[in-house]
Amino acid sequence: MSETTAPKNIMQPKEPRPDVRQKVTGTARYTADQYPAKVLYARSVRFPFGKGSIVNADVEKARAIPGVVLVDVKKGKSVNYAGGIVGRIVAESKDALEDAMEALNATYEVEQSRTNPSKLYEGVPEADAQANAELKGLFDGGLKVVEATYTTQVQTHSCLEPHGSVVDVRQDGVEAWVSTQAVMALEDAVSNTTDFPASKVVVHSEFVGGGFGSKFSLGAEGTMACRVSKERARPVRAILNRSEEHCDGGNRPGSIQYMKIAVKDSGEIAGGRVHVVSTVDADGGGGGIRNPNYYKFGNVVRTEGDLALNGGKPQAFRAPGFPQGSFALESMMDELAAAVKMDPVAFRKLNETSRRRIEQFDRGAELIGWKDRKADGGTPGRIKIGYGCAAGSWGNGKGKCSSDCEIHRSGEVEVRVGIQDIGTGASTVVTDTAAWHLGLPRTMVTGKVGNSDYPPGPGSGGSVTTRMTVPAVRDSAEKALGELKKELASVWKTEPDKISYGEGVFVNPTNNQNVAWKDACAMMSGASVVGHGRFNDEYWGEGGSDTVQFVKVEVDSETGVVKVKKVVAIQACGQVCNRLTAENQVCGGIIQGISFALFEQRMLDPMTGGQLNADFINYKVAGPVDVPEIVAVLDVRDTDTGARSIGEPSTIPTAGAIANAVANALGVRVRHLPITPQRVLEAMLEQKGAIA
Amino acid sequence: MRSFGYAEAENAQGLAAALGKGYRIKAGGIDLLDMMKERIDKSERIVSITGMTELRGIKERDGGVAIGALTTLNEIARDETLRKAFPALPDTVCNAATPQVREVATIAGNILQRPRCWFFRQAEYNCLRKSGQACYAVAGDNTYHSIYPMGACHITHPSNIAPALVAVGAQIIASDGKNPKSYDIRDFFLTPEQDLKRENKLPQNEFITEIFLPKMPEKSAYVEVKEKQSFDWPLAACVATYADKKWSIILAHVAPVPLRATLAENVVGEKADIDENLALQAAEAAVKTAQPMAYNGFRVHLAKAVVRRALLKACGKDFHA
Repeated sequence: MSETTAPKNIMQPKEPRPDVRQKVTGTARYTADQYPAKVLYARSVRFPFGKGSIVNADVEKARAIPGVVLVDVKKGKSVNYAGGIVGRIVAESKDALEDAMEALNATYEVEQSRTNPSKLYEGVPEADAQANAELKGLFDGGLKVVEATYTTQVQTHSCLEPHGSVVDVRQDGVEAWVSTQAVMALEDAVSNTTDFPASKVVVHSEFVGGGFGSKFSLGAEGTMACRVSKERARPVRAILNRSEEHCDGGNRPGSIQYMKIAVKDSGEIAGGRVHVVSTVDADGGGGGIRNPNYYKFGNVVRTEGDLALNGGKPQAFRAPGFPQGSFALESMMDELAAAVKMDPVAFRKLNETSRRRIEQFDRGAELIGWKDRKADGGTPGRIKIGYGCAAGSWGNGKGKCSSDCEIHRSGEVEVRVGIQDIGTGASTVVTDTAAWHLGLPRTMVTGKVGNSDYPPGPGSGGSVTTRMTVPAVRDSAEKALGELKKELASVWKTEPDKISYGEGVFVNPTNNQNVAWKDACAMMSGASVVGHGRFNDEYWGEGGSDTVQFVKVEVDSETGVVKVKKVVAIQACGQVCNRLTAENQVCGGIIQGISFALFEQRMLDPMTGGQLNADFINYKVAGPVDVPEIVAVLDVRDTDTGARSIGEPSTIPTAGAIANAVANALGVRVRHLPITPQRVLEAMLEQKGAIA
Repeated sequence: MRSFGYAEAENAQGLAAALGKGYRIKAGGIDLLDMMKERIDKSERIVSITGMTELRGIKERDGGVAIGALTTLNEIARDETLRKAFPALPDTVCNAATPQVREVATIAGNILQRPRCWFFRQAEYNCLRKSGQACYAVAGDNTYHSIYPMGACHITHPSNIAPALVAVGAQIIASDGKNPKSYDIRDFFLTPEQDLKRENKLPQNEFITEIFLPKMPEKSAYVEVKEKQSFDWPLAACVATYADKKWSIILAHVAPVPLRATLAENVVGEKADIDENLALQAAEAAVKTAQPMAYNGFRVHLAKAVVRRALLKACGKDFHA
């Protein structure tokens, strides 16, 4: 279900993606589908436990297996996480490679791993003297004070298409297929790794099965593919398997977030103490929890730290640091509202920093049926209904992008941009933007992305792709149209700017006759005309990415099972390029948010430090039955004239809204993600002394 | 995945001959192929029996119901006769795994699937069940392991459908190609105390041909608790059936075998109609012998909840009230 507030600016009605048939029928070719002739298979040898080294491995036996090309194992190399690389194997076939992997029959020295953040957490550091004095004034001044510690788990990226590269280093250059969200940057990476100039390198990434922030670099597997291909003068495939993907394919770091906040009886937040800790890998870094945020939190003394675990390295993950921060701060918002006996929506509106979101809160409350919300724990019987809400937003900076729009004699149009479609529908945005500005049906236009020989575009990080691509594509379309008018002017013996055009029809100013697009294109002197476009400020327009989400849940108070029944998202995103794609982004963000709130968690064994759930059976991702009714409202006003970010803001508020809905349902607050039956039952025992 | 020899059996004689040469049976292939890909199962020859269509289907016979070994979970889930006569049975499988898996997974395969223990399923952990020296669940993360100790290994039995079959005392009819054999499902499964390496009594040279349910219960209900509603194994589940003035209460996914809660059965006795209070007492009795491990204490509470709910549901009562 969906609706839109003001469809006036919508460029296109709902249309499926042009490549939908290829994807559904399996003819879309991803990196993992590339098998060039005489390809070699390469894979890293990985340490399976949290900390230690390989003592022994039967390298000779592995090398002796027919078809095995290379076995290299670094015995004694110390490793700090399960999945850490200690060698490599290259073989003529996947079977030979796996046989060699097994033949190693490695023995390990395993040291004690750091796996449990709550046991390792050192508490809140003392603030400096001046800050302490300010805090004392806040907390002793007769205001209501709420103190709580929230934790979030480590979530792995779990891209459906694993990380991987297929690289063919030839004498005259390099052709590479990489599953990446930065096809232009990967051209440089492949160029550097293979010592070929970038002009001799082409990187293909036409289809990508998800990245979520984890696919910006060549990675160990891509580097290995480049080097082995160069050494052996053969194409090389290095595609991670699912276990490698979970252990070493990136993750959203966990967090421990302490908040002690004072609030006035009026509902105005006065300030307080915030200490956030990210659970990162042994090398440290990559945390960055965004708490506080969105609301006027007053005078906050904030400190931040890292807690090193023996786990894989964090990578940027869809709104890095935001969903974790949002879960804690939105939980605190509800706890503060309860302390001053205010409705959570009214309390948020009072402390909001964004006028747009204040309006969105009213709209969302109406659509979810907020008036039906009962007092906390107020549903009779064992099945409890709860409602919750939360806010989000995203920054929208300008950037660089270029685009070529080529109009052929046949009238068909091809638009090429050096961006990549990581599953978001970026190529659809290119097609529909060009079609809209050329006044043509989208069947006449083909948007092409995912090739490093195309005009450079941005990497897909920070939700920039659409907002940077649209002004460049429009610029190239306008310029190509200008080139076509020049051709017509020379035929009609007139000036190009005297030729008017709209909706597929030119007017010949010399005789006032209409000339259809295809007939006009047939008059061009060459095979095609090209407009070279770039990011054009004129087409930047206005808009933002504010959002609020409302959630309705059903909690079984006897078993602790939480079911999300409905989510309403009011999402600003400027001008919409393709409604289906935009709504799909919002729904995807929400589903990933539900999965983060209720299910996903990396589980490291306390004894060995190995990841126990490096698969899709024990690593639990929301499935079809877990997905509720989602009402994705694209909040578009007449003033929203530029395309804006949507991918990241849409996943920020979901977990916080769910946690608040669960607390409303039960009258008990679960302050730790994911909200599993175990966590719900533990919270009930702790806060009520008994399970319902 | 290793290369392997592959054959297709057309009849019982052919299958028996293949088994004699060391072939492993592939029916739906859901579990076996997963295990082979993970290199936990190192079978070098497998024989597909999906062509033996005589092993497929649900028939009424001798006052009971015979379910062919190759009948898929979705065929059971959709069967009108079972739905009316023994609703708990289709209920155990209608939400198992995914719709795609249910279309190919078979009843015999479901009963015979290997444990889902995350140590057993990873080649790096040479656990007791794989000839190693230790059960890693003892000192490791045992969230999903047994809460009823039955030996040195702490698996839970993964079959969704087995507890319903145990409840009604089904017979497992097997064959060695010449003679039919019959196993009482109530002592078909082996605890780790009885055998560390095998989960049931079926010898390598035999294959299941059908599951025979001698009599339909007068009342039945199935209740499960899952973390995730799509594609997840239950944290705890219970089948309750009533026939001939006797209740059967079978707990699932909490012990190395489908677990008959005899203490709970004693509490409810012959009573056909069970009220909230009696259901609760039975539930308490069912978990009296539970001994959870370090990480899975919460599942004792869930085991209690599913027993209470299954009894009330079997009596047509609202257990959410």
